[in-house]
Amino acid sequence: MSMTVLTVDDSRTMREMLRLALADAGFRVVQAEDGIHGLEVLQAEAPQVIVTDINMPRMDGFGFIEEVRGDPKHRAIPILVLTTESDAEKKNRARMAGATGWIVKPFNPDKLVDAIRRVAA
Amino acid sequence: MNQVISQNGQNNPGGMKELISFRIGAQEFCVDIMAIREIRGWTPATALPQSPSFVKGVINLRGAVLPIVDLALRLGFESTDASDRNVIIVADIGGQVVGLLVDAVSDILTVTDDVIQPTPDVASDTAKTFVRGLIAMDGRMISLIGLERVLPDLELEAA
Amino acid sequence: MDPLAAIRDTFFQECEEQLAELESGLLAMEGGDQDPETINAVFRAVHSIKGGAGAFQLESLIRFAHVFETALDEMRSGRLAASADVLKTMLRAADVLADLVSSARAGQEGGHPQQAALSDELKAMSGAAGADDDGGEEDWGDFEFQPMSAAVDLPADTPPARAFVVRFKPRADLYAKANEAALLLRELTRLGDSNVELDTSEVPLLTDIDPEAAYLTWTVTVSGDTDELAIREVFEFVDGDCELSVEAQGASEGAGETGLDIGALLARVQADAIPTIETAPDEPFELEAPAPPPVADLAPVAPPPLSVVSPAAEVHPEPLAANQARKTEAGATIRVDLDRVDRLIDLVGELVINQAVLAQRVMEAGLARASAVAMGLDELEQLTREIQDSVMAIRAQPVKSVFQRMPRLVREVAAMTGKPVRLVTEGEATEVDKTVIERLADPLTHMIRNAIDHGLESPEKRAAAGKPAEGVVKLAAMHRSGRIVIEVSDDGGGINRERVKGIAIEKGLIAADATLSDEEIDNLIFMPGFSTAAEVSDISGRGVGMDVVRRSIQALGGRINITSKPGKGSTFTMSLPLTLAVLDGMVVSVEGQTLVAPITAIIETLQPKAEDVHSLGGHARVISIRGGFVPLIDVGMALGYRATPLAASDGVALLIEGEGGARAALFVDAIQGQRQVVIKSLEANYRQVPGVAAATILGDGRVALILDIDTIVAVSRGEMRKAG
Repeated sequence: MSMTVLTVDDSRTMREMLRLALADAGFRVVQAEDGIHGLEVLQAEAPQVIVTDINMPRMDGFGFIEEVRGDPKHRAIPILVLTTESDAEKKNRARMAGATGWIVKPFNPDKLVDAIRRVAA
Repeated sequence: MNQVISQNGQNNPGGMKELISFRIGAQEFCVDIMAIREIRGWTPATALPQSPSFVKGVINLRGAVLPIVDLALRLGFESTDASDRNVIIVADIGGQVVGLLVDAVSDILTVTDDVIQPTPDVASDTAKTFVRGLIAMDGRMISLIGLERVLPDLELEAA
Repeated sequence: MDPLAAIRDTFFQECEEQLAELESGLLAMEGGDQDPETINAVFRAVHSIKGGAGAFQLESLIRFAHVFETALDEMRSGRLAASADVLKTMLRAADVLADLVSSARAGQEGGHPQQAALSDELKAMSGAAGADDDGGEEDWGDFEFQPMSAAVDLPADTPPARAFVVRFKPRADLYAKANEAALLLRELTRLGDSNVELDTSEVPLLTDIDPEAAYLTWTVTVSGDTDELAIREVFEFVDGDCELSVEAQGASEGAGETGLDIGALLARVQADAIPTIETAPDEPFELEAPAPPPVADLAPVAPPPLSVVSPAAEVHPEPLAANQARKTEAGATIRVDLDRVDRLIDLVGELVINQAVLAQRVMEAGLARASAVAMGLDELEQLTREIQDSVMAIRAQPVKSVFQRMPRLVREVAAMTGKPVRLVTEGEATEVDKTVIERLADPLTHMIRNAIDHGLESPEKRAAAGKPAEGVVKLAAMHRSGRIVIEVSDDGGGINRERVKGIAIEKGLIAADATLSDEEIDNLIFMPGFSTAAEVSDISGRGVGMDVVRRSIQALGGRINITSKPGKGSTFTMSLPLTLAVLDGMVVSVEGQTLVAPITAIIETLQPKAEDVHSLGGHARVISIRGGFVPLIDVGMALGYRATPLAASDGVALLIEGEGGARAALFVDAIQGQRQVVIKSLEANYRQVPGVAAATILGDGRVALILDIDTIVAVSRGEMRKAG
């Protein structure tokens, strides 16, 4: 069975780009629009990897990562942060929250897939 | 009811045209079948104010409102006294769907371009506006009608 | 469609939404909104545009969005105060951003005349010192994956070593972030021939093991065609969560000779690393497994390697339960192709007509009203009506989407005229059919421009009149008796009636000696020919007259009029149907024809007595209603259905209020009843007919014409003037 990746991003454009890149690589893609939606999706789906944006309404990426890491059922899912943020402070916050790794937008689809394979058990 | 007319007997599929012929009074006319959507019986039309006399009004065709043009009047003949015996040829004219009131539909003709003769110079203005050519057949003369100007001309009316 | 092209479309669609969000957020802040979520939303809007622009390599857009975003971030973090001046600049930046999006969409990547100046202003606000504030090429220019390990500062020209010794000691944090030592090691060993040694000396006794702690250290010797940068990249994500040292070695020690079978090791570590710890941090846990599986020399060490099951294991996770409450906040929406909705609306329209036809047939069949068939039909009618309303509601949208285009217009016109203006909007959530909204933009634009340009006085004049320098233009929407009413008002000087009358006389629109009420004078500005000439551009502006505005409103089945108070300002009021698909009509007969009059225009119906009707000569008549005289318009004559007017006592008069509040009585033969009708276009297959607004199909399947009351009244007025 192919690997399932959950993408969490409030931008339709980004979600569609991610879907295109990940589906091309043979992953099954499930999507969420923000952190809260992401947590809802997690109740029904068991992705092997999560790719999340940081700046999102309702619940941002930091909050989302913290929630996932605080949930015994999902805490072991690797989470890649996909963000345009390039300053060290935001990266550190994502790290502190429990991000496994990150990718800077705009992303190269191959590198994204590599990164996902690198963290996925 | 199909009738293939080809003066020189050559088969010329490239120049083939299918035409539908109809009668107004004693006259016979035809139009390109590609423009025809359907043929239906007469139903009373709702009169339109401020419209030329050849516009009989509008009817409901499966939810669409389409104008009915009395083709006899439009072509400069006596008005057709519309009754159940008349038919309406529903035509698509440049994206607008229009009903043409005629006496009866007579035939479907398949002709090659070369049997269509040019309209003679003696023709009236009306003929020049509508008649695209003449077809002689079995001793009858059938006028090929162009439908582009059948609806009232907006600019002319507005002026 | 090419998937990327489709995404590009999505991107620009989304940009429109983000730009709208951006502007309304900034405006809210200007109005004193201090909700942190507002600035967050504003920031996100620009941020998302930048993100998408990056994916499509839209350079000017990226660069400008970046500078803008940086300034907004400063504001978001409180380092930059959201003062009025700052917000004004932000709003102008939003305008430039909108223009950049438009040009990018059109495939022009040329930049914007004001881009550089505004970038500088934004940078100045942000403090501009940051190394990253250019947003530029080094970050965005290439469509590349950006490794984040800034720590790697090796000179690129380090001579390649024959082997590297990597010492890797994960901390507990590494595992907490779902990184896996096993995966890192696997990655590392792919770089070349590798030799892995595991140091388990720090592993405590089983009873002392903290399942979330880390006790292992690996030493990996990698040899072959690799460099330190590649090795460090493997550990990119775990930088800071492990102790890592990479040392170049002169020569390989012969990888693979000593110690462990790497495959076995990896299998082992991986197996153990499967995250089975399901315990809350402060809960005691029991070990159910007798012991971690002992494998060869490897102690049960990989953290978190223990099969531990806590009593809490099956408990539903708390945080998610808490989230359940939050999830209902956002209404779920779907996007549907508009064509599908319109097809549905058409079909429902057909259903309504068919239902009416059926009802009529049943009536004709002579079935009793109380019969089961008739009653079933009543229910069907009820249901049909409800379906129709629901379907129409799908097309309804808040007027916000057109209202929110106006602040920018106001800024621009204010800047051009040098008049400070505040735009106040009300009722943005009022919903109306999408087509109505789309076709409102032009008339509204014109009216607002008009209100600022001509309605508002200069600041000096305002000061002289004791008004605040800043003029107010108000845009309001509301529902009123089944229609939407939109008002554009200003607090300017009001209409100069002397001047308007003078112009109308000069243009030959009214007789020099005409006596007109104030209201009639005000409404002269809607007359065709009033304001198209250049010399009266101070009233109409830009050569587009108010008559054009009125015509576009009428084309929507709407009415417009103006009220004005000298010194206080003017208010344009538009009343529009909520939908262009149905209409509540009064069905009347005229000379054997069935016609429909829009009910919204009808004030009352009355049966005139012969003595109430007075002839003015020719066919012009008036009817006296409660002491006043109102023109009586014979509809049959107005439409050319008959040549002589119906006798006063033979018909019914519909008292109507036309545009500008002018009253008239439409004289018809009889009233058949009231019903909602589906509007059918005459223009689709024919053309516009004077006096006819549209057509509909009645229960008998025949077409009935819907009267264009305003035109009928206007035409009859003209004739009446000639007659009188």
